[in-house]
Amino acid sequence: MDMTRREFLGYSAGGLSVMGFRLPTSTPAAPVAWKLNKWRAFGISEECMIPESRRGYDAVIPEERRRFDPSDTGDAVRCCSLVILPSLLFLTPPFAELFTGCMNRGTTVIVESGAGFTSHRTFRRHRRELREGLQISVAAPVDLWSKGSTAPYVEYTWPRRAKVRDFSRVVPPGEQPGEIIAWAGDLPVAFKRRVGAGTLIYLGSPLGPALWAGDVEARRWLFAVALAA
Amino acid sequence: MKKSIGDNMIPKDWGLERGLELIKKAGFDGIELWLGDVPWFQMATTDAQVRELRRKVESAGLVVSNVSTGLHWASPLSARDPAIRAQAARIVERQIETATLLGTDAILVVAGLVTEEVPYNEVYQRCVEALKPLGEKAARAGVKIGCENCNSEQRFLLSPREFAQFLNDINSSAVGLHLDVGNIHDTGFAEQWIEIHGPRITRIHLKDVLKHRGRSGDQSVYTNLFLGDNNWPAIRAAMTKVGYDGWLIAEMEARYRYAPDQQFYDTAQAMDRLISGRF
Repeated sequence: MDMTRREFLGYSAGGLSVMGFRLPTSTPAAPVAWKLNKWRAFGISEECMIPESRRGYDAVIPEERRRFDPSDTGDAVRCCSLVILPSLLFLTPPFAELFTGCMNRGTTVIVESGAGFTSHRTFRRHRRELREGLQISVAAPVDLWSKGSTAPYVEYTWPRRAKVRDFSRVVPPGEQPGEIIAWAGDLPVAFKRRVGAGTLIYLGSPLGPALWAGDVEARRWLFAVALAA
Repeated sequence: MKKSIGDNMIPKDWGLERGLELIKKAGFDGIELWLGDVPWFQMATTDAQVRELRRKVESAGLVVSNVSTGLHWASPLSARDPAIRAQAARIVERQIETATLLGTDAILVVAGLVTEEVPYNEVYQRCVEALKPLGEKAARAGVKIGCENCNSEQRFLLSPREFAQFLNDINSSAVGLHLDVGNIHDTGFAEQWIEIHGPRITRIHLKDVLKHRGRSGDQSVYTNLFLGDNNWPAIRAAMTKVGYDGWLIAEMEARYRYAPDQQFYDTAQAMDRLISGRF
């Protein structure tokens, strides 16, 4: 990757700051303001559809910044600046309400679809629950490799440009309000839109596996979202 | 050292019993059973049928050297699709179960498959993660999983040191290397793999390789023992050096066009020469 040392230090420092880590400094660190100053990967289900996705977030988010306990729906989530739902499959109404409330208060919520490899029946439930819960419209999964070799990258355009390996199957966003922020060739893959004071980001191609595989670009993209949140 | 050959080498129209008779007559001590490759040994084969298979092998004066499979080429442990991965794990589990039923302590697994679509880093990590719990299952059953070095075909773990790191990362005494001395092609030398892996070698596949053909043409790169480019005296010496005294298993890609039974006799005799070190 063509990342300079300066860029690396900048992003690392930025990411760590968001996560509440003390940065190396000659003066005592100021107390961390916790309100909307945390970010968390939040697994709704213990059984992730794409386990390596959750492991990817595990790998890059410090332990104190991630929580996968499905029962943790209280303040720990409400005061986060960024909530990530890795390889999400189902979204029941209480969780949808919780995350909508978070967004209304200013949280950025990343919804990463985990339905690329599911059965048709499971996908239909996924589509319905995303639509009813968060007003996310998605199209049927697309097998990017079904027509042979392709350029195996998803190109992100926001909040920074990044090129991240695809994960074979994409659940593209349908027609809806928002800004497309990633493409696989000419296929839209991700979008963002304002919800209240916060932001909803939908990823139709999971980012977690690329984090898990050590993709620096993927990590930089995630940290850039964390900084923007 | 003992000699074995795969049951998938038995001519299609011969049937198991006649094939076992030939294998014994040709001078082999055992047979490698290929799960999914032959009609008598499939994923759907019941435990009772597997026991009957063992009875037939032993009645022919042979034993089962190991349980192999080619099913992981279609269902690799490294697949992105969780359903395919689950199937791959189930294949390994069935290999472990049948190894126990068949009275052997080794299975062959093609661990991962790097493709244009599924990149190396993913394949590596997924295989390590899959093989850790499978290694525990194998250890409980007293079976060793031998990950085969299918270097060029897998495009994975191309050097012996990387393979060693892979095994270190899995960190299970029940997971080792099923070394194929023909699979290394022009990426290295079999004798060096033997030296580096020594006690981690669970079984050895024997075939020779025509390095100049490469893998891109339409001709097989593999050939019968002593016809290709492997340095057999060096390979034999390396086996002695690391104290390998286990099974040698013939794996021929090309079959004789005529007199298919002759290949069994020729191969067994070539293996005898290798074992005795008479070159």
